[in-house]
Amino acid sequence: MIAEKLKKYRISESEHQKITELLGRPPEGLEWALFSALWSEHCSYKSSKVHLRKFSYHNDRTKGQTLDGENAGVVDLGKGERIIFKMESHNHPSFIEPFHGAATGVGGILRDIFTMGARPIALANYLCFGALSAPRMKMLLRGVVDGISHYGNCVGVPMLSGKTQFSEKYNNNILVNAMAVGYLGKNDVIASSKAGNQELLVIYVGAKTGADGVHGASMASESFTSNNESKRPNIQIGDPFLEKLLIEACLEVIQQKLVVAIQDMGAAGLTSSSFEMSAKSGRGFDMDLAQVPLRQELTPEDILLSESQERMLLLCTAENKQKIFDIFSRWGLDAVQIGTVSNDSKIKLRWGQETLCEIEPRLLTDHAPRYERDFQEWKRPLVPMSQVQNLSDLPKVVWETESYDPVSIYEQYDQRVGGKTVRGCDQSVGFVRLPETGRGLAVALGCRSQILKLNAQLGGFDAAYFPAFQMASKGAYPVAMTDCLNFGNPEKVEIMTEFVECISQIAKMAEVLDAPVISGNVSFYNETQNQNIISTPAVGQVGLSDFTDLSEIPFDDVETLKTQKAKTDFSQMSLVCLWSDEVWKNEQYGFFGQLNVERLNAQRNDLKKAILDHKPGLSKALGFGTLQEELEKILQKTSASSKVSSEWGGSLRQKLQQLSPKLSAADAGCFEPLYRVVVLVENSKVKDFQKSTGSFSSVVVPLSGVL
Amino acid sequence: MANVGVLRFPGTNCDQDVIQLCESQGLPAKYLWYQDRFSHQDYKHLIIPGGFSFGDYLRCGALAARSPAMKDVAAAAKHGTPILGICNGFQILCESGLLPGVLMKNEKNRFIDRWVQLNCVTGSQFFGKNNSAGARYRFPIAHGEGRFFAQENQLKEIQDNQQIWLKYENNPNGSLLDIAGITNKEKNVHGLMPHPERAIFQWMGGTDGAGFIR
Repeated sequence: MIAEKLKKYRISESEHQKITELLGRPPEGLEWALFSALWSEHCSYKSSKVHLRKFSYHNDRTKGQTLDGENAGVVDLGKGERIIFKMESHNHPSFIEPFHGAATGVGGILRDIFTMGARPIALANYLCFGALSAPRMKMLLRGVVDGISHYGNCVGVPMLSGKTQFSEKYNNNILVNAMAVGYLGKNDVIASSKAGNQELLVIYVGAKTGADGVHGASMASESFTSNNESKRPNIQIGDPFLEKLLIEACLEVIQQKLVVAIQDMGAAGLTSSSFEMSAKSGRGFDMDLAQVPLRQELTPEDILLSESQERMLLLCTAENKQKIFDIFSRWGLDAVQIGTVSNDSKIKLRWGQETLCEIEPRLLTDHAPRYERDFQEWKRPLVPMSQVQNLSDLPKVVWETESYDPVSIYEQYDQRVGGKTVRGCDQSVGFVRLPETGRGLAVALGCRSQILKLNAQLGGFDAAYFPAFQMASKGAYPVAMTDCLNFGNPEKVEIMTEFVECISQIAKMAEVLDAPVISGNVSFYNETQNQNIISTPAVGQVGLSDFTDLSEIPFDDVETLKTQKAKTDFSQMSLVCLWSDEVWKNEQYGFFGQLNVERLNAQRNDLKKAILDHKPGLSKALGFGTLQEELEKILQKTSASSKVSSEWGGSLRQKLQQLSPKLSAADAGCFEPLYRVVVLVENSKVKDFQKSTGSFSSVVVPLSGVL
Repeated sequence: MANVGVLRFPGTNCDQDVIQLCESQGLPAKYLWYQDRFSHQDYKHLIIPGGFSFGDYLRCGALAARSPAMKDVAAAAKHGTPILGICNGFQILCESGLLPGVLMKNEKNRFIDRWVQLNCVTGSQFFGKNNSAGARYRFPIAHGEGRFFAQENQLKEIQDNQQIWLKYENNPNGSLLDIAGITNKEKNVHGLMPHPERAIFQWMGGTDGAGFIR
């Protein structure tokens, strides 16, 4: 009997014991469902919390801004402008039902943003799929992209950045991470999810509650078995039209200061929103579940656990209730009072007059178990180039990954709705123009699973460094970041070891880049039939551009440059190819060099400054492909790419033989630098440009007769 | 009197973009809510912005076309007020019968966001460049249902009356005759799928839409 219940509610025996101690008796009735939801990995972060404390770095932009336990962090950009952003995973639902899983991922992350009073101004998405030849994979790719496009386009928030990767390690567990950025101007107020001391009503607004998503949070906290089909009813269905109405109505009631507190109903629905608000405020809620608007007949337990989309819970005074109802009604949305805030600290759940459950919410929120899962120190530093000699003694590596962002994917996203987009997701760094000050806000995503697969330390570093490096190539710098830590089963030491190392690297980079981690999400148990995904700590970075004229932000490629500046005379220009000598990639043997963080960061700063000073029309950090492949994306002419790549390759070999005198010429030809960038510079300014980027190695290729 | 009335339906999402266009030209603009009636005499121009009015339920623009404010748009059309429907606004004008034809799902059944090159076939007195026949524009498109279609006799009428306003240089969606924008017979009601309001500053990537309201 007990064993069955434990299984149904995904509660372990030791957790059952702990619950019994907390309550002074075994759990009964609705308590099972409440503990199941709020003590799930997804809601409680029970395996990760002890490590997430490492993200403690803050600066003047974020200090005192990120209210404890709020939905997303706040960054003060100065001059009255603030932004809020967060990234979240929707991996499990998207694998089962790609269209709705991905769509509701977008919907959920948007609600995290506007629940705080910020208008969403940008979306980004980080996706990992299996090999396209794997079962269902083409359907999954199509479904996820359609779902994101369907939802994001309709709510009218532009897609600024996208990253798509493929590896057979994701064959049975794809990753769908969505990020949203919200904006607050000078006169906008930030909404809280914490109640004050006044008399308050509990109001339910938005869509009706249905059976979709019941037990979603605990499902997302469990590894997949082969029987995923049976989980289909756990998937939520989203309606972007309702979300758009909800955005407008919520921003209206927040900005008119009619609500005291507001919280979206995300994972674990009404349970998590009410319990978290109540626990945070230290005030009890008295809620009548019979008042909750229903789409179909549901039990109280289903009502509590439903993850139906587009719903919010808000607290207001009796005086403002009617004003709020009027605004929601004008937007065609339901608003219903489902309870009151009481003066004790307990949550009382009723069905009409019948009390179903009375419980102290902190038992569920603050007393959730904390697990210190076993892990080891990272003991695999990179081998410095100077020590590399006989490559053939080394083990060969298998990459199994590819990364491309086909035009057909990003063209399906509306990148310009809102009239603020400066650069869309067809460019390596997206930019929107901030409405009040006209500054450029950059959005870029990090985490290259090709690197993570071989080396979690370098991969964790790169997840935070590479987007910042890409921003530098556009003359911008990061101000803060969010992360979405997608990992396998945390009960396995090797997974936990990679997790801890990645967090250390990202936390260190937050300090080095002066870009605090302001929000985040952990997704464990990305495991199917004992196969874990590549550890994938996706990073979302938001930055600022110092260009006063945003049209001067350099482009990625010659084609786009030509449509913008038809008069560009390439015969008077050169391609300056810059690279860092710190980290090298070898097609057969993996990564070499040293992770000299200070030096890499200095190079990033030099690059950013040189771009701002010289305002080149084209500047791009190269991706993971070979020189030739990457240059073809930029120059779009094979002969030009061949010329540049052969001259650049020659310089690289020379440099390598200096760094590693024992390396044969043939072996030296197999290395490529991990951090490299090409910049289009007028011939007369090349010397000057090279001087200001002197911390890099470089080679100059004149384009006369080439383009 | 506000110069420009900007219609707003539940699900309209390019409303702020159109206001930005009006502001860039120094034209006072005012939102018109779909449930509220208005007098056409109060507005020099009317614009129906893009978006997903009523979530594209039923058909794009179908529910918006039947809303109270559209009765007054029809009256304004009859009166000769210059009216512009962009993207979903174009769909709404077709659904309400103020423009001929219909906008169907793109040929490849996918949403497309892309910059396109347009040619002006018959110049407009109210929108776009002066003496605009033959003018070229570069605007972004962003739609899933922008394939213009009309019955044969209707299409002939559109051609005979010189109602074709804009054509794509490279047809992105399978529109008949490469049509990107049309007008009514009287040449005061205009609809186009591309977004001129997304091309008004250099930082947007193009300025062909600057001064679009004349």
